[in-house]
Amino acid sequence: MDSPLVRLCIEEACKSGDAVERWRLQRRSLEKLPPHLADALLRRLLHRRLLFPSLLEGFKHSVENIDLRGESSINAEWMAYIGGFANLLSLNLSDCQRINSSSLWPITGLTSLTELDLSRCMKVTDTGIKHLQSVVNLEKLWISQTGVTEAGISLLASLKKLSLLDLGGLPVTDQNLISLRALTKLEYLDIWGSNVTNLGAICILKFSNLSFLNLSWTSVTQTLNIPHLECLHMNKCDIVSISKTHSSPLASLKKLVLSGATFSAETESFSFTNQSSITYLDVSNTPLRKFSFLATMINLEHLDLSSTAFGDDSVEFVACVGESLRILNVSYTKITSVGVGNLAGHVPQLNTLSLSQTSVDDLSILLISTMMPCIKTLDLSMTRIQGFMQRQTQQAEPSFAALQSLTSLEILSLEHAYLSDTALSPLSSLTGLTHLSLKSTYLTDFTLHHLSSLPNLVSLGVQDAVLTDNGLEKFSPPSRLRTLDLKGCWLLSKEAITALCKRYPHIKVRHDFADDSSSLEQNQLLPRSSPLEKSGRRRNNQRPESSVAVPRNFVDQRLKYNREELVALQNSPLSQLLPREVLVSVPDILADL
Amino acid sequence: MTKGAEKKQRKAKAVAEKKETTTTTTTMRETVKLISMEGFEFVIDREAAMVSHTIRSMLTSPGGFSESKDGVVTFPDISTPILEKICQYFYWSLQYSRGKETEFHIEPELTLELMMAANYLHT
Repeated sequence: MDSPLVRLCIEEACKSGDAVERWRLQRRSLEKLPPHLADALLRRLLHRRLLFPSLLEGFKHSVENIDLRGESSINAEWMAYIGGFANLLSLNLSDCQRINSSSLWPITGLTSLTELDLSRCMKVTDTGIKHLQSVVNLEKLWISQTGVTEAGISLLASLKKLSLLDLGGLPVTDQNLISLRALTKLEYLDIWGSNVTNLGAICILKFSNLSFLNLSWTSVTQTLNIPHLECLHMNKCDIVSISKTHSSPLASLKKLVLSGATFSAETESFSFTNQSSITYLDVSNTPLRKFSFLATMINLEHLDLSSTAFGDDSVEFVACVGESLRILNVSYTKITSVGVGNLAGHVPQLNTLSLSQTSVDDLSILLISTMMPCIKTLDLSMTRIQGFMQRQTQQAEPSFAALQSLTSLEILSLEHAYLSDTALSPLSSLTGLTHLSLKSTYLTDFTLHHLSSLPNLVSLGVQDAVLTDNGLEKFSPPSRLRTLDLKGCWLLSKEAITALCKRYPHIKVRHDFADDSSSLEQNQLLPRSSPLEKSGRRRNNQRPESSVAVPRNFVDQRLKYNREELVALQNSPLSQLLPREVLVSVPDILADL
Repeated sequence: MTKGAEKKQRKAKAVAEKKETTTTTTTMRETVKLISMEGFEFVIDREAAMVSHTIRSMLTSPGGFSESKDGVVTFPDISTPILEKICQYFYWSLQYSRGKETEFHIEPELTLELMMAANYLHT
C-alpha cells in the first residue's frame, strides 16, 4: 500500500469493533472498493481480530484475495459467506484446522477462483476433492498433508488448467501419476513423501512444461531428463543412477536440492546435468566425500555443504567457482582456518557465510575481515574462536576488532560458550549490525550495556549470561530494538523481566518468565514452500499444544534448589523444554526424521 | 447532503481562502481550485495540492491537461465532505513533512470513501 492516506484510513477503519460498526453498513461504498483496497482492509480486519462471518457479506463483490491461513476459527459458516464472493481469485485456508470436506461445498462452481491453498487441513478428504472438481478454472492447488487418498488424487485429472499442484505428504501412487498425465499445463509438481517409484516417475516426463519438481522422501532413485526443469528437490532420496537412455541432459536446471540424499556413484551423479547452469546447490547431510564435481559449476550462487565430509582439502573446488558465490554454508564440517585462508580472496561477492560448529579459530576472523569485503551475514557460533589473537611475542589482541572493516556486516552470530566481556568489547564499534546473537556463561551486565550503543540493532540475544536484575534495570535498549533474547539468563527474576516488558512494550523479550503470546504472529511470517520449511512450520504449530502441558506459573527454580544443584541441572534434558526458535535448522529437522 | 455538512463546507472553503489571502500578501503563492461532485469549490495552495501525485501530474504535464493552464480540477466522483478531508490532509501532510508530528484524525464513517479518493489521488 503505497498511499499513506489509504494506510491511515485502513488503520482508522480497523481501530475497534465500534469503528467497524460505523462503516460496515455503507454497502454501496464497500461494493465500489477497488479490489486491492478491499483485500487490504479485510487483511487488516483479520489481523486486528475484528473479522466475523457476517461482516464478510459486505465484501463479496470487491474482494479478490483472501488469506486466512492458520485461523482456527474458520468453519463452515465462514465458508458459506466466502462461497458468495463472485470475484474471488485466490483463497488461502492452509492450517485452518476446522475446515473439512463439507465446508468446501459453498465454493463449488466458483469459476473465478484460480488459487486454493488447503495445505494441512487434515479433515479435507476425497469428498472435498469431489467438490473442487467444479472449480474448473483452478490453476494452483495446494493439498499437501491433507486427508486426501489415491482415489481423490485421481479426480484432479479433470482440473485441466492446473499449473501448480502440491501433493506433498499424500499417498500419491504410480497409478495416480499416469492419470494426472492429462494435466499438460503443469509447471510445478510437489509429491514429496509419496509412494511414487521409478516406474511412476517416468510419467513425469509427459509434463513437458514442468519447471519445479519435488521428489523428496520418495523411493525414486533415478534422475529424470525433463527438458525445462529448473528446480529439482530430491532430499533423502537414494540416488542410484542417471537414466542414460535420454540424450538431453537437464540443461536448464538452476536449483538442485539433495539434502540428506545418498549416492551410489557420487561424482557421476552430477553428470546428469549441465553443471554450468546450476546456481543453487544443496548437498547438506549427504555422505559425499569428493567435491571435485563443484569445479564445473561456475555459476553457483548458493552452496550448502553443511554436515558433509567437506574439509580443508576440498576448499580448492569451492575457491575455483567462487567468483559468483553469494551464500556459503559449511557449518558442521571439518573446515579450519587453513581452509578459510584458501577460500579468502576467491569469493569476492560472498555475503553470507556460515562456519558454525567447525574448528575455525581467531585467525579466520582476520581472513574474513580482510578478504571477504561483502559479508553481510556471518555465523561463527560454536567454533574455536576465543576472541583474542596472539601476535608474535606481544600481548594478545582482541580479534573481533578486525570485523570493523566489514562495512556491510548486519547479522552476526557468536553463540559460543567461552567468549568473555573483554573479548566482545570491540563489537560495540560495529554500528551497522542489525542482528546479534551471543550465548556465553561468561558474559555479564557489562556486555549488555556496552552493546546498547549499537544504533541499528533490531534483534539482540544475550543467552545464558550472568545478567542481574540491577543490570537489566539500567539497560537502555537501542531505539530500533524489537527482540531481546535473554533465554537461559537464570539469575534474572520474574519481576525484573516483567518490569522490562512493561517499560519497553514494543520489544519482544524471550525468557522463561516472559509471556510468549506471539507464536501466531511468527507462524504467519513463515512462507510456504519446500517440505523442509513445512515440517519446521508444523512443529511451530504444535508448539502451543505442547506448552500447555507446562504450567505457566511454576515455582521459581531458585527457591527449590541451591546453586550447586542448579548448575548441575543446567545441562539436563529438562532444560531443553524452552520454546523453540522460529526457524528450525535443517540438520535439526533431518535428525528427527 | 445535509444542511450541517453544507455549512461545514463553506467554513472549510473560507479557511482555505483565508490561507490563500494571507499568503498572497507575502509571497504571491499560487493557488489551485478543486471542485467536488456537488460543485463546491476548494481553493488551496498549489504546494498543498501537489501532495497528490495525481493532481501534481495534472498540473505539471506540459500542454496536455486544461487543468495545468487554469489551475482548476474537477472531481465528479469525490463528494464535498471527502474533498474537504482530502484538503485538510494535504495541509497536514505538508506540516508533517516539516517535522510537526501530529495525528490526523479520520472519522470511521469517512474511511471507505476517503480510502477510495486517496487511492485515486495517489496521496
